[in-house]
Amino acid sequence: MDELTSVPQFTLELFGINLVFNTQTIIMTWIVMAALICFGFLATRKAGLIPNPFQVVAEMFVSIFYGFTRDTLGEDLAKKYSPLICSLFMFLLLCNWLGVIPKLAEPTKDLNTPLGLGILGFIIAHYSGIKVKGFANYIKEYFQPIFFMAPLNIISELAKVVSISFRLYGNIMGGAIIILVVSHLVYGLIVPPFLVIFFGLFVGSIQAFVFTMLTLVYISLQVK
Amino acid sequence: MLEIIDLTRSAQYIGAGMAIGFGAIGAAMGEGYAAGMANESLCYRAENSGNVVRNMLVGQAIAESAAIFALIVSLILVFSAPSEQFVLFAWIYISAGLAMGLSAIGSGIGAGLAAGNACQGIVRQPAHSSAIIRTMLIGSALCQDPAIFGMVIAILLLFLDFSTVPLYPGWAAMLGAGLSIGLAAIGPGIGCGLAAREAASGVARNPETNTNTNRMMLVGISIAQSTAIYGFVISLLLLFTGHQENLALTASLGLLGAGLASGFGGIGPGIGEGITAAGALRWIARSSGNTGLLTRSMLVGMAVAESTGIYALIVALLLILVL
Amino acid sequence: MDINGADFIRALALLGAGLAMGLGAIGPGVGEGFAAGKACEAIGRKPEEAGLLTRTMLVGQAVSESTGIYALVVALLLLFVV
Repeated sequence: MDELTSVPQFTLELFGINLVFNTQTIIMTWIVMAALICFGFLATRKAGLIPNPFQVVAEMFVSIFYGFTRDTLGEDLAKKYSPLICSLFMFLLLCNWLGVIPKLAEPTKDLNTPLGLGILGFIIAHYSGIKVKGFANYIKEYFQPIFFMAPLNIISELAKVVSISFRLYGNIMGGAIIILVVSHLVYGLIVPPFLVIFFGLFVGSIQAFVFTMLTLVYISLQVK
Repeated sequence: MLEIIDLTRSAQYIGAGMAIGFGAIGAAMGEGYAAGMANESLCYRAENSGNVVRNMLVGQAIAESAAIFALIVSLILVFSAPSEQFVLFAWIYISAGLAMGLSAIGSGIGAGLAAGNACQGIVRQPAHSSAIIRTMLIGSALCQDPAIFGMVIAILLLFLDFSTVPLYPGWAAMLGAGLSIGLAAIGPGIGCGLAAREAASGVARNPETNTNTNRMMLVGISIAQSTAIYGFVISLLLLFTGHQENLALTASLGLLGAGLASGFGGIGPGIGEGITAAGALRWIARSSGNTGLLTRSMLVGMAVAESTGIYALIVALLLILVL
Repeated sequence: MDINGADFIRALALLGAGLAMGLGAIGPGVGEGFAAGKACEAIGRKPEEAGLLTRTMLVGQAVSESTGIYALVVALLLLFVV
């Protein structure tokens, strides 16, 4: 049970501030990044009319998410945001699936990853909103429909970030803990692989999809 | 003889049990509703099954999020080390469990309601499924806000240092804080789900009005959550006002009563305002020309429905600040 | 009644396990029942789609069950591990 609470860390002293790095999360994220970059390279090399398998998969992802983005944001904005949405989904999908491989762990098991991605989505949405609507209109929206709704609206915006981040973190971390606890209880017989398939592959892909779609919806709420 | 660590550790376990126990109720009910409505609509147009099942799973995943927050709090309670010095922490652990567990009930049911009717809407209007899905996502994600407030209170209770608060009346303040946000979040969660449900059906019925309906849904849901915010404010007051050591029973039970007042007081107005918003949204989608009139009626109706919630808030404030 | 410290912890851990699973069984029961009922109605309306409808019902019920599984895991934790 101790492995649940101990996190391997690496502290760096920089300009008098202690920077703490969670080594496991960083290394796993690098593995995901390397895998995605290799995938991208293999998919676009010699892109021809008869596609190689990587190109087929890449085209499937791109077309599905371009379709979602276009349906939500409209044609011209879709070109701007669909790379973000598609790469967010592919990154999260591979992150959540990484836990299925024996010695590797999901980077999303650390609260920093989902929270960072949630704050990223929040900043992008609000920055785009300010750029499109102008600062005055953006501030005015917080006072709709009645003047004193402003604190409620601000709280609601912050709650959006908290909810998408914690939902992803909780599902992945909770799944990992449940797999660990049940494996301990049944002494590793029969049950664990099914749990890993359910919590790792199934829940992982659904949560990646939900996170991506919610980020898209929050961007569209600000921009349209 | 019982030592302090026995009391605190056992309170941790009770709190963990209550957190996940209550938290699992709402999410499962909402997800079951979504599954049922998806099935019912599939029989009308079976060739859409891929789209409908995917949408059902997305909606269920959102409904589950409150239960996941409850699971996180529950696991933190089981695995963290209990305080060895202060009996007050026993009440803190129980209160954190109650805060998270109870507040997850409403959000789970609400998000499931929205998802179910979105599936029904997709079958009715497959060409506009993305507009319906967008409405469902916005509505059900907003329904999670009361559970987030509950989780914030639970995390504040677990991770801030309350060792300087005296045991009497501190025990009642902590327990009241948990009950206040926990109970108060049930009503708005369900109410916002009712509103989001009608918005999703309305967008399916009349896809051209979808921006209007979305905007009105946001307004209605934001106002319906106000009693959850009252409960949250009372929780914060109970946690952070400096309590003087007072062994009298009146002081303790007064604070507990404040928590119960704002807690139970949030249930009714939350559901009622949700029903108001649902009614307004049902007709905003059908006759978009009357949006202004319907919005005004909705706001007036909600303001009246909120009145008892405000009385509860006033009584709670009186109990904390004056008595 | 002579209450020993370790006994007291164990006793309340058992009570917590009972609360966790007892309350946690309410939701999946109601939700899965509703899903099954609607599935029966749908199959009654269109018997030839029974395969698809049953599959969808089972998928939906499995997701609804997952919160019950969380409650079960916490209950088992409290019973056997702590």
